[in-house]
Amino acid sequence: MSWRDLILVAGGFGAGFLSGTIGIGGGALFVPTMTVGAGVPQAVAQGTSLLAIVPTALVSTITHIREGNVLRQASVWMGGGGLFGAVLGALIAVEVPGSILARIWGGFLLFTAYRLAAQALSTPKSKSAGQAP
Amino acid sequence: MPQRNANANSIVAILPIAVAALPIYYFRTRTPQIDFRVALFLVAGSVVGAYLGARLLKRIPDRELKLAVVVVLGVIGVKELLFP
Repeated sequence: MSWRDLILVAGGFGAGFLSGTIGIGGGALFVPTMTVGAGVPQAVAQGTSLLAIVPTALVSTITHIREGNVLRQASVWMGGGGLFGAVLGALIAVEVPGSILARIWGGFLLFTAYRLAAQALSTPKSKSAGQAP
Repeated sequence: MPQRNANANSIVAILPIAVAALPIYYFRTRTPQIDFRVALFLVAGSVVGAYLGARLLKRIPDRELKLAVVVVLGVIGVKELLFP
């Protein structure tokens, strides 16, 4: 096992932890772990990220269901609607050059960071994720 | 929807989305855009993290966790945007 492999395992752990806690797919950390940490090309990183998301999301899903965190009907609608967008997005992404994909990705991450910051700053300091509103 | 349920539902919904997009990255390109060895090491860490994260969700302060993610995503986002 090389340093590169250890970076992948550590990045994978961080991505999995965030997928389990705040519900991001894991791709937000999987992709930069591969491109920045392990020198994987952008397009391959995005495809590999999708593969890694499947077992990660499966473990999160089973654990969340056991913990009673999931509203099943809402999940069915969200997942079903996302299917169409996912197929369309993937068909476009495989035709776009890596540098453009990376810039689009960077813009998306900054937008996500902005939205998360807005949410976090509007939440009282003492409020926990587990507390009912 | 409470934040805890929204976070959990989000990851549940991602599962079918990833499964739907995956074959396109594998079959619609000249060479498959998936590195199985890299995925293996990522998953070795991620399934452990996912389990711990989902178990600990009820105990982690939402605000602080989100702000930490904002910093990580912000740094990576700037890097990818300026130096793709």
